[in-house]
Amino acid sequence: MAEGKGQAFLDKFAEVSARVGNQVHLRTLRDAFATIMPLYILAGIAVLVNNVVFAYIWGDTGFAPNAEVLANVQTWGSALTLGTLNVSALILAGLIGYCLARNERFDNPLACVVVGISALVIMMPQTVTANLAATSPLLTDKVTSAAVTGALSTANTGTNGLFGAILIGLAAVTVFIKISGVEKLKVNLGEGVPPAVANSFNVMIPMLLSLSIFGVVSAVLAVAFSTDLMTIISTFISTPLKGIMNAGPWAVVLIYTLANLLFCLGIHQSTISGVLLEPILTMLIVDNMATFAAGQPIPADHYMNMQIINSFALIGGSGCTFMLLLDTFLFSKSKTSKTVAKMAILPGLFNINEPVIYGYPIVYNLPLIIPFVIVPDIFIAATYGLTCAGIIGPCVAQVPWTTPPVISALLATGMDWRAAVWQIIEIIIGMAIYLPFMKASERAQELQVEELEA
Amino acid sequence: MKKILLCCNAGMSTSLLVQKMQKDAAARGLEVTIEARPLNEAMDHLDDASIVLLGPQIGYAKGDFEKACAGKNIPVDVIPMADYGRMNAAKIIDGALAKIG
Repeated sequence: MAEGKGQAFLDKFAEVSARVGNQVHLRTLRDAFATIMPLYILAGIAVLVNNVVFAYIWGDTGFAPNAEVLANVQTWGSALTLGTLNVSALILAGLIGYCLARNERFDNPLACVVVGISALVIMMPQTVTANLAATSPLLTDKVTSAAVTGALSTANTGTNGLFGAILIGLAAVTVFIKISGVEKLKVNLGEGVPPAVANSFNVMIPMLLSLSIFGVVSAVLAVAFSTDLMTIISTFISTPLKGIMNAGPWAVVLIYTLANLLFCLGIHQSTISGVLLEPILTMLIVDNMATFAAGQPIPADHYMNMQIINSFALIGGSGCTFMLLLDTFLFSKSKTSKTVAKMAILPGLFNINEPVIYGYPIVYNLPLIIPFVIVPDIFIAATYGLTCAGIIGPCVAQVPWTTPPVISALLATGMDWRAAVWQIIEIIIGMAIYLPFMKASERAQELQVEELEA
Repeated sequence: MKKILLCCNAGMSTSLLVQKMQKDAAARGLEVTIEARPLNEAMDHLDDASIVLLGPQIGYAKGDFEKACAGKNIPVDVIPMADYGRMNAAKIIDGALAKIG
């Protein structure tokens, strides 16, 4: 009876999660972030080469200190930062447009890219504050910045503008697609006019209408309230949300518990974490890359970020199953488990573990569900705690989630060897936690076999 | 030539399965191509597919794919968890070919 109820609850949980993960705007968000990822990885490499490798060679404490050479070679990384991090809101707004069009099965995704980017820039302030360059004649000890027009600020087009890009991109493209669906606005130029001409009008009118609406909002905010939507979103939405993620590890632990529990029911954890957690955590690590690129220390309210999960709570894939595989090689007596482990260990080194989840299996296997959920939680909380205590350095760069352990910790923290040591300690802790549950799972399997034979 | 399109979350684990399925198909001399796509790309590659197989981790997307495949005579199926986990390539191919008919 109780089991029946439990099963019904689990089914309901899986169904609701799948519905949340399948919601068209949330799915768009996840798709857009998946598409922009290579750009962030590139930014991470540029930041690491500039601020770790080059600094190691030509920096103050490097083995051939030379400030001039350092500044010159770092222009390379700065150029990449400018073209990746500093315009990532613009690019994301376009991608949001494209992915939303695809998910809504709208037949003109390119028009949506244009609308997304254009709407975002429409909402930006027309006068921005810019730092004066070192060569500027206006630069004095007291005056270091100036209000300028005719410029877009990287404060809006870059990492700080990501939340604006998401909300404005989604809103503008949704309006555009809605207006495009209104039959009365479709232009009929009659027979003889090439269909392509009529089609171009059919894009133009909805574009004109939807972007004009955004123009009106932008104008009202600027004229009547002397503000802009980017500032409002940053103050009232993105800052508080980033704050919640960094008010201790609890929000991340809670959502990740649910996400990994979902995986134990057979549905990928990113269905939940990919929409509720990863966009905000990715913005935090992207902020950190920009901060690190500028040579500034990472603020404490950015210690919790995507890399804490990708490097420290995803060793061998979701649930840190790498440790389960090591336990299996060393301590398991089950032939089946060892066969699965042999097949799964290589993909596991690159944090891919579907063979373990479905083959070992973890799904619907209660003894293993417990460590699968709690091990990552412990690692998220512990890594965050160690970062706050200053025992390991904060994550400064996004590295691909498929990077093997030790290397991923080194890269993510900008070559902090203590982070790599922590990752090795994590593997030992994880093995210790998994071991009794692995034994329990094997005993349960033996009993089942006996029952079948009896 | 029949084409089996496999789809999972990021296309990573499925690409592993595809490798095994291609080897199995080649060993048995089957006239079939097999390719893997991540969830956010798969919709663009439906047209020349004979069947779409979804990894169990994205089984919830079955309805979406059925909608997209409606009228194209492309069956959509979710790979059983155990076959997926154990990378049971031969069984998955046989199941797919039976569905294509």
